[in-house]
Amino acid sequence: MRIAIAGKGGTGKTTIAGTLARLIARRGRPVWAIDADSNPNLAVTLGVPREAHAGLTPVPRTILRDDPADGTGKRKILAVTASDVVEQYGFQGPDNVRLLLMGRVDHAGAG
Amino acid sequence: MCGAHAAVRHLIGGILEDQAHVTVVDMEAGLEHLSRATGRHVDTLLVTLEPYYKALETSRRAVILGRELGIGRVVGIGNKIRDAGDAAAVRRFAAAHDIPLVAEVPFDEAVRRSDLDGTAFIDVPDSTAVRAIDGLAGWLLAEDAAARRH
Repeated sequence: MRIAIAGKGGTGKTTIAGTLARLIARRGRPVWAIDADSNPNLAVTLGVPREAHAGLTPVPRTILRDDPADGTGKRKILAVTASDVVEQYGFQGPDNVRLLLMGRVDHAGAG
Repeated sequence: MCGAHAAVRHLIGGILEDQAHVTVVDMEAGLEHLSRATGRHVDTLLVTLEPYYKALETSRRAVILGRELGIGRVVGIGNKIRDAGDAAAVRRFAAAHDIPLVAEVPFDEAVRRSDLDGTAFIDVPDSTAVRAIDGLAGWLLAEDAAARRH
């Protein structure tokens, strides 16, 4: 199941996302929490201790490279496999919820 | 169409090939992100419905976009419900726009406190809001189980 949470800023999206991820994990399902916001806050509502936040590495733009099939240089493809990204940048949080910070890469070259 | 967004969709899709995993994506506030990005790799869109006009208007557009993107399950989550009047307003709005309202999360002062303290809201004891979100978790997993039986 692939759940996204949308709504106006300040309406409690991140609080619901983090709490929901933990509660689903407590019901026995493996959970990935993905922070797609360029200003990531999901770690806090997931309950990742503040001391650990420095160790959270956002997925960098270097996972992307130019698509050789495209002459404009605008199209990007993954330079590494998805499982490598997950292994390298996935952070194990409380209740075994795994967290990925995608905001930075998602905004790479936006526009 | 921005190539980075395509790559992110691809990555999320790759992670999710294992159907046992549940993925929860906290989206950017802006709707532009929803229109371009992760939409195609999402099967369930939860849209927060907070009882004030601007928030509901944003949510209505998010619901329309979610449907246009072909997301199978687009539902509303009432949030920060302070009283019966708030609940009625959110229900009326959901009904008027044909949005299934699958949870009503009450306003909880502990959200702000836990944010200040840097602690997880889930750890607040006896929170009615946490209970409502747990009800949402149960509903989602039941939907997922039903979809997989078909």
